[in-house]
Amino acid sequence: MDERLKETLSAMMDDQADELSVRRLLSHGDHGDIRDQWRRWQQVRDLMHDRVSPVVDVSSRVRESLVDGAAPKSAPARGRLVTASGRAWHWTGAAAVALALAVGFGAGAGWDASEPDTPVVAGAVSATSSGNESEIPEVALQGLNEEQWEHLSRYLLEHAQHSSVGSGSGSMGYARLASVSGPVGQTH
Amino acid sequence: MNKSTMMPFSHSLQPLLAVVLAALFALPAYADQPETAEQWLQKLASAMSLSAYRGVFVYARGEQVNSMQIAHRFHDGEVQERLVQLDGESGEIVRKGERIFCVLPDHGRVKLDQIIASGPFAEPFTRDLAPDGRWYQASLMDESRVAGHETVGVALDARDEHRYSYRLWLEKGSGLLVKSHVQTVDGKVLERFQFTTLELVDGLPDSEFELQSQGPEVERRLHTVAGDERGRLEGWHLNWRPDGFSPSAVPRSGNKQAVAFSDGLATFSVFVESVGTLVMPTGASRIGATTAYMRYVKAEDQGFLVTVVGEIPPATAMRVAESVEVDSSLSTRPQAETHDN
Repeated sequence: MDERLKETLSAMMDDQADELSVRRLLSHGDHGDIRDQWRRWQQVRDLMHDRVSPVVDVSSRVRESLVDGAAPKSAPARGRLVTASGRAWHWTGAAAVALALAVGFGAGAGWDASEPDTPVVAGAVSATSSGNESEIPEVALQGLNEEQWEHLSRYLLEHAQHSSVGSGSGSMGYARLASVSGPVGQTH
Repeated sequence: MNKSTMMPFSHSLQPLLAVVLAALFALPAYADQPETAEQWLQKLASAMSLSAYRGVFVYARGEQVNSMQIAHRFHDGEVQERLVQLDGESGEIVRKGERIFCVLPDHGRVKLDQIIASGPFAEPFTRDLAPDGRWYQASLMDESRVAGHETVGVALDARDEHRYSYRLWLEKGSGLLVKSHVQTVDGKVLERFQFTTLELVDGLPDSEFELQSQGPEVERRLHTVAGDERGRLEGWHLNWRPDGFSPSAVPRSGNKQAVAFSDGLATFSVFVESVGTLVMPTGASRIGATTAYMRYVKAEDQGFLVTVVGEIPPATAMRVAESVEVDSSLSTRPQAETHDN
């Protein structure tokens, strides 16, 4: 499945796909491939919401959006990543993340620690519970330039290797590794 | 598929398992279904290496989500694993014992292959892994189903504010970890790991452990670090670290000084490096359960960047970073390069 199809698929999940893209998706031969991708994204979404949702049939969803003709004009998905990041685990946010992964880590999508319900000054949790509240200066990853980001990435990667051992979960360590190597933010 | 494949005491594995268990826990082995949270954790530790399985798992922290396909077996006395990244650019890692083969996409300027060789990440440290009852309160949770498997839940609640709590879901037959959460003391989930499909099998063919991606291939050999080299600090020292964290690995890469500490569950790494002209902000960044805290230290006339990276709360990371003291001996050394590439 090529990247544009993935992009279309992701946009569809946000009801953002334009008709032309959807038609192209439907004409794509490898439906099994598309279904697999769709299912993975659904699982991701369910995971984020700690819930089991009814399986959505991608082809019927596509047909609906064609019949309604209501699909909004294509808002470039990459652009939406920025706005989506403000709303932590809403489905659009999750889709944006999935999209970012699918289209090759664009636009600094990951690494956003500034969701409103996740205060970055998050020592709050432990600080308040321990009673000795102290201010913890916050560094927004988006604010780092390329050189700074690269430097920090190396540390994150090395640490991921340490913890793949320490956590006793080999695959978790790999996942952290892969996760770090993912979005090289700020270069776009 | 046969879920009971890896019941720990099949004949061929018995000698090995006895060794593994003895090393890990120094407790007598038992063959019955575990009953307590501690017994389940013991079972988990051996299952992680010795089970044979294939599946797809999803890993999420912060706003990042990765899904990976995994095949795992214990074969010819070594762990063999193949992981394929399913999202974004394709990447593939095959591990056979201490040998690692990777085909990795080029992620911007960060070359994973340069880093992957620099630290040990194999078995030698599993003995450090048993969560200690002094730092975590272990208890059983309700049974539930994950990826079609019956699981037992184990809660590991931090006993102090210096670490996070964990929720682990273990497949009932094998003890394999099929889902986990890392969360704050008040239950906010920071990091999630979960199989979405999982097949426990008797064995897997060799073909599932061959690199299949096209691309530049990198081979690395893991090296182990002798116990007395762990935690050796050269030119700097830590004045504080949370109780229960002991040195676990000394990666040797480039000119930077790095040490990792683990309490059996959580790990944090401390990097001390002369950074030349590079200027980094001071403070904490968070990616899911991972905190990176950076600060500068002056010794003589030279500046050093101290970075603490770990699955620990920001307040803990900050306190560790602020306790780092650079000796004058480190600053009199030749200026280190910023990057070792």
